[in-house]
Amino acid sequence: MFYVRYMLAEVRRRRGRTALTALGLAVGVGLVVMLGALSKGLDEAQGEVLERLTGVGTDLAVSRPLAVPNDDAPGTGSADPFSGLSEEEQRQLERENGEHTAAFNYSDLGEPGERFSEVSLLSSGLSFPASAVATIGALPGAKDAAGGLTLTALRVEGVVPESGAAPLNPHGEGGFEFSETSVSGVDVRKPGLAIVTPDQVTEGSYLATARDRAMGEALVDLGYARQNGIAVGDSVKVAGAGLEVVGLTRAPLGGDGSDVYVELGRLQELSGRHGRVNGVLVRAASVDAVAGLAAEIDRQLPGAEVVTAADLVDRVGGSLDDADDLSSKLGTALAAVALAAAFLIATLLTLSSVQKRTRELGTLKALGWRQRLVVRQVTGESLVQGALGGLLGAVIGIAGATTIDAIGPTLEASVENPSSGGLGPFGQGGITAGTTDVVLGAPLDVGLLVLAIGLALAGGLLAGAAGGLRAARLHPAEALRSTE
Amino acid sequence: MTGRRANTDTETMSTERDATPSYELERAARSFGEGSTRVVALDAVTLTIEQGEFVAVVGPSGSGKTTLLQLLGALDRPTGGSIRFEGQPLEHLGDRSLAELRLRALGFVFQQFNLIPTLTAAENVEAGLTPLGMSAPKRRQAVDGQLAAVGLGPRALHLPGQLSGGEQQRVAIARALARAPRVVLADEPTGNLDSRNGEMVIELLARLHRELGITLVLVTHDEWIARRAGRVLRLADGRLVSGGATSLAEEVSQ
Repeated sequence: MFYVRYMLAEVRRRRGRTALTALGLAVGVGLVVMLGALSKGLDEAQGEVLERLTGVGTDLAVSRPLAVPNDDAPGTGSADPFSGLSEEEQRQLERENGEHTAAFNYSDLGEPGERFSEVSLLSSGLSFPASAVATIGALPGAKDAAGGLTLTALRVEGVVPESGAAPLNPHGEGGFEFSETSVSGVDVRKPGLAIVTPDQVTEGSYLATARDRAMGEALVDLGYARQNGIAVGDSVKVAGAGLEVVGLTRAPLGGDGSDVYVELGRLQELSGRHGRVNGVLVRAASVDAVAGLAAEIDRQLPGAEVVTAADLVDRVGGSLDDADDLSSKLGTALAAVALAAAFLIATLLTLSSVQKRTRELGTLKALGWRQRLVVRQVTGESLVQGALGGLLGAVIGIAGATTIDAIGPTLEASVENPSSGGLGPFGQGGITAGTTDVVLGAPLDVGLLVLAIGLALAGGLLAGAAGGLRAARLHPAEALRSTE
Repeated sequence: MTGRRANTDTETMSTERDATPSYELERAARSFGEGSTRVVALDAVTLTIEQGEFVAVVGPSGSGKTTLLQLLGALDRPTGGSIRFEGQPLEHLGDRSLAELRLRALGFVFQQFNLIPTLTAAENVEAGLTPLGMSAPKRRQAVDGQLAAVGLGPRALHLPGQLSGGEQQRVAIARALARAPRVVLADEPTGNLDSRNGEMVIELLARLHRELGITLVLVTHDEWIARRAGRVLRLADGRLVSGGATSLAEEVSQ
């Protein structure tokens, strides 16, 4: 077809103009591809960190904090959220809470002057009946729920003092020594939603899925294991019971890593908390359901504290956060400016080309070419240049993204301790503060490349429309008088 | 040379074509600007050009020759008076109708050749045929025929930059004639050529005029070229000073 041959001839034989226009569009589009890939890489990096924060697939964590009075609202403190519970439930909670204030009766420890070692399993939060797990799991918007029980094994060692005499030095010679080990009970039927997930196992294996086998097993945190010289295959004691260490786990950043993980039923049995849990991990049916589900849990479980995964995002800081900010704000602005500049360059070059070809376009009009044909010709040429710019831009974008991938810059994500102190998101102690490094990639996808080529074509079309409009306005007699 | 009236639309453009002159100008005027900056390029020109005539338009620079040619070529509209092409007044036609008229009835040859530099000689000729909507084989046949007629068959695939000035002007003539126009308007067609090539181009135009019976209006500075025409129109300061109504070929020799 003649018109296409003419377009291609213009593009091919006016190489300088074509290269300049295509390159202008390509740089803009390439930048958009690179920033798009980088933004996706940052999202993935943040997702990776958040996954470590929240656990695999966990959307909400439900706990019941000890602190009940509401300091922020004077006069409402008497509105005890536990008043709606059954008497039995209230007694159970009081009993658990009572352990925190229990004083030692020295005579129970042995004869004065004898060494003693006493272990208490304490809960930093109030517990729920295990049936609450099923209740939460059945709420609208909930996909699944798993119960967990996290306790602190407080070991007190020392010499039994004379009756009524306080130890001289609580940590020194002749006094008591305290050591704490956090222990979590894991619902082995739902490892993906548990306090510790199979992904976190760095050595050995996860707890057996069969409860009978799992009851004799334990997982130990890597840091705790190193500190105490524990290896896979060793035995650890929890409340006097010997358990085989089957695996070592990595503490989740910002999560609620415990020192030791055992099968839930076994921990309930060892701690005398049959049928009780103090944390419920919930997976929502969809992202949209999270807010409604959190409100429903609040309503259904008096005194419950619900923390959503989104709450944890605020606690992520460091260069990853900065980079994501940069990507979302400055990056978008940069991409917009680059695109606008590319479109402007293409438009100006096309207008300049129309100006330079005034007499040629006038000749076409003298030959009887209708307005529409002349405009189509100019726009078509610009579109071909746009397509070339798009392809070149895609190549530049791919090259840039591949370079970022090859370099693999490392970003740091840090998690701060919550300012409120006390309970972590899962109600079993403080959040693990710290930093982690994430390798940044720039993943490309077909959609991004299609978008790039589409943008370049849009740029070509815009430039072509401007040029075509200028060409349409050319008066044939004036155009033929042009000296260009 | 392909048949002159290959296009039937051209044939039916005006049923009274054979009976009416190609052009009838009645006090046709063209001015540019307004007020103190107003310039009168063509002032109340009255003339008639019969079908099949070979008319030369001569005059010094700025006398209005090119303006007259652009009005005759439906590239511009008069600001005063009237211009009839084959009985049809041009001043009332819209842009689309003027484009249609140029496409189907008129052919142009320019001093600067005005070839499209990125297209080959054959494609330049084809550029004049494409808007007619001819089939590709017919178009190719017409292109080959026209290039052969101007002696450029072997140069069909050359770009304008690879051709001499004379060859480029012959391509332009082939482009003008490919659509079998009823009128060819040539603006200083030898202005950019040496005398040998200029002579060759004028010979070609004169021969085509004789063989095809087209109306040929040729603007020139060159009195010797003007002598080839059947009639010479003399312009000075936008006014027609001689040759407007009758054939005065003898005036050229005076």
